[in-house]
Amino acid sequence: MKLLALIRLTLRELAAKATIIILAAISTIVLLGLAAAFSTNVTPDGMMLQLFGQQASPVMPEEQLITAIRSMQAGLAGGLFTGIILFGIFATAGVIPDALEKGTVDLYLSKPIARWELLLGKYLGALVAIFVNVLYFMVGAWLIFGLKCHLWDFQILLATLTITFMFACLYAIVAFLAVLTRNTAVSIILVYLYLFVVGPLLHNREATLYLISENTVYRSIVDGFYYVFPQLDAMRASGAKQLLAQEMDWKPFVQSLLSASVFFFGGAVMLKRRDF
Amino acid sequence: MLAISTSHLSKTYTSGFRGKRQVNALQDFSLEVESGQIFSLLGPNGAGKTTFIKILLSLTRQTGGSATILDHDVSDVQARVKTGYLPENHRYPGYLTGEQVLRSFGPLSEVTGPLLQSRTTTLLELVGLKDWRNVKVKKYSKGMMQRLGLAQAMINDPDLLFLDEPTDGVDPVGRAEIRDLLRNLKTRGKTIFLNSHLLSEVEMISDRVAILDKGQLLRVGTVDELTTSGERHHIGIDGVLPEAFRLEAAAKVIEFSQSQSSLTVDVGSIAELNALIDMLRRHHVPIVSIAKERSTLEESFLSLIKREVAS
Ligand SMILES: Nc1ncnc2c1ncn2[C@@H]1O[C@H](COP(=O)(O)OP(=O)(O)OP(=O)(O)O)[C@@H](O)[C@H]1O
Ligand SMILES: [Mg+2]
Repeated sequence: MKLLALIRLTLRELAAKATIIILAAISTIVLLGLAAAFSTNVTPDGMMLQLFGQQASPVMPEEQLITAIRSMQAGLAGGLFTGIILFGIFATAGVIPDALEKGTVDLYLSKPIARWELLLGKYLGALVAIFVNVLYFMVGAWLIFGLKCHLWDFQILLATLTITFMFACLYAIVAFLAVLTRNTAVSIILVYLYLFVVGPLLHNREATLYLISENTVYRSIVDGFYYVFPQLDAMRASGAKQLLAQEMDWKPFVQSLLSASVFFFGGAVMLKRRDF
Repeated sequence: MLAISTSHLSKTYTSGFRGKRQVNALQDFSLEVESGQIFSLLGPNGAGKTTFIKILLSLTRQTGGSATILDHDVSDVQARVKTGYLPENHRYPGYLTGEQVLRSFGPLSEVTGPLLQSRTTTLLELVGLKDWRNVKVKKYSKGMMQRLGLAQAMINDPDLLFLDEPTDGVDPVGRAEIRDLLRNLKTRGKTIFLNSHLLSEVEMISDRVAILDKGQLLRVGTVDELTTSGERHHIGIDGVLPEAFRLEAAAKVIEFSQSQSSLTVDVGSIAELNALIDMLRRHHVPIVSIAKERSTLEESFLSLIKREVAS
């Protein structure tokens, strides 16, 4: 009950901020563009994709076209993921530092709520906001592809869950940084640093960090770091497979769940010890 | 029953590089507050008043000693179910209206549904914000924010209410209203713990007062106990003192000072006072009034703090 109240308050806070509205607006524009531009056409020889009424693919048999559409969906979901990461983090990173600000934190913590509960409520609030945004986009895309191509693929709806899960893993790091720094801007900078520098370096460690030294201890430390963080790239690749109706690899998801739990737990422990 | 009980509480804030800077915000602070009282904690800026409340509400952890509120250890989440808090610099989300603030924060204190609805209405009326309930908080003035904070602190009908400078920024009429409100809460058996710098106000409503300076408890007692300074009495007389009286007083080593028609004496006991009265009567001096000297709370506070600074 108290958790729900916290989530509701967080959603209200996000709704009052322009950023999450802009996120929804961008989704709407992309969907409208997709609806206006994209269609399929049946010719006597087979089917083809059309963009703005112009032929955009060779005429091909139906199965081939479905595969082509699915790759398009995968591309779209990938684009959405990137958008959510860049903009969603930006839109929601303030939730926890704001709650911990002097004058606000006193209000929350003087209530019969445990500190981890406050953190969880804020975390889930941000997550729900992102989930709703992703769901909105995915249901829109599902309807467009269904109506225009008669391809009612369920995977695209499932991708809502995958993308939200990936965001949740990343947001656990944001929560950790937010408690650590109590500063929105610093949290955003650090998480982007992870996303664009540290993450890719660790992911491609064989071609980058491994070159620094051949020392096995060093290399296992690098490996260790890789597994401490959620495996966004591996999850992303696996998520694309989902959209292409191929077998998914669950390992990165399980590992990332563990990693995210550790980050969240670390944040909760730090919060518990803090004096306000 | 004790609403608040602390024993040998201490708090040292450490900050700076490797905890170099240390502030002893509270030292060996033991205090008991009976339930059903209005209790005020006074002290100069930085004395540790807010720190004390923060420890009781578990916003800050003590470095030593123990504390309970409403028979729960302060670290117990349940301790805060029946408490209310008006922080000194509270901030509510500006995008909410006054009514939405109460409705959003109520569930966090386990108040929901129709009860929350009716409390919201009553409290907004009580603090004089009825006409402002649908206005966004960001448009509130300082005094209005304070009133809203007070309503928010009472949303769960708390048994123990912590108020940190509750009348800060509130106009005189509003302050009088808040005083009435607090007295009213007291008659309903609630305990109120107040931090305030407005000593005349504290004097009007408090049952007991504690004075804190640099983290140390200097005095605790009723307003009467803190404002009566020893056994100094003023005796009003009519006419002039006969020389015989002066001689007898000098012989008995009774010291007094006289200004026009009033004698001021420091007596060791009530018996001594009465002996003096008898003496005045024997010399046929008409007595008009007898009053024990009483300082204001402010005067006692200032002299206490000054003495502390001097020592
Ligand atoms: N979070 C903190 N970190 C470090 N020092 C702190 C912290 N909070 C308070 N202090 C210090 O502890 C001491 C007591 O502060 P506190 O806020 O309790 O005073 P106060 O009696 O409420 O003062 P005021 O009348 O100004 O409100 C001060 O010296 C203050 O600098
Ligand atoms: Mg204070």
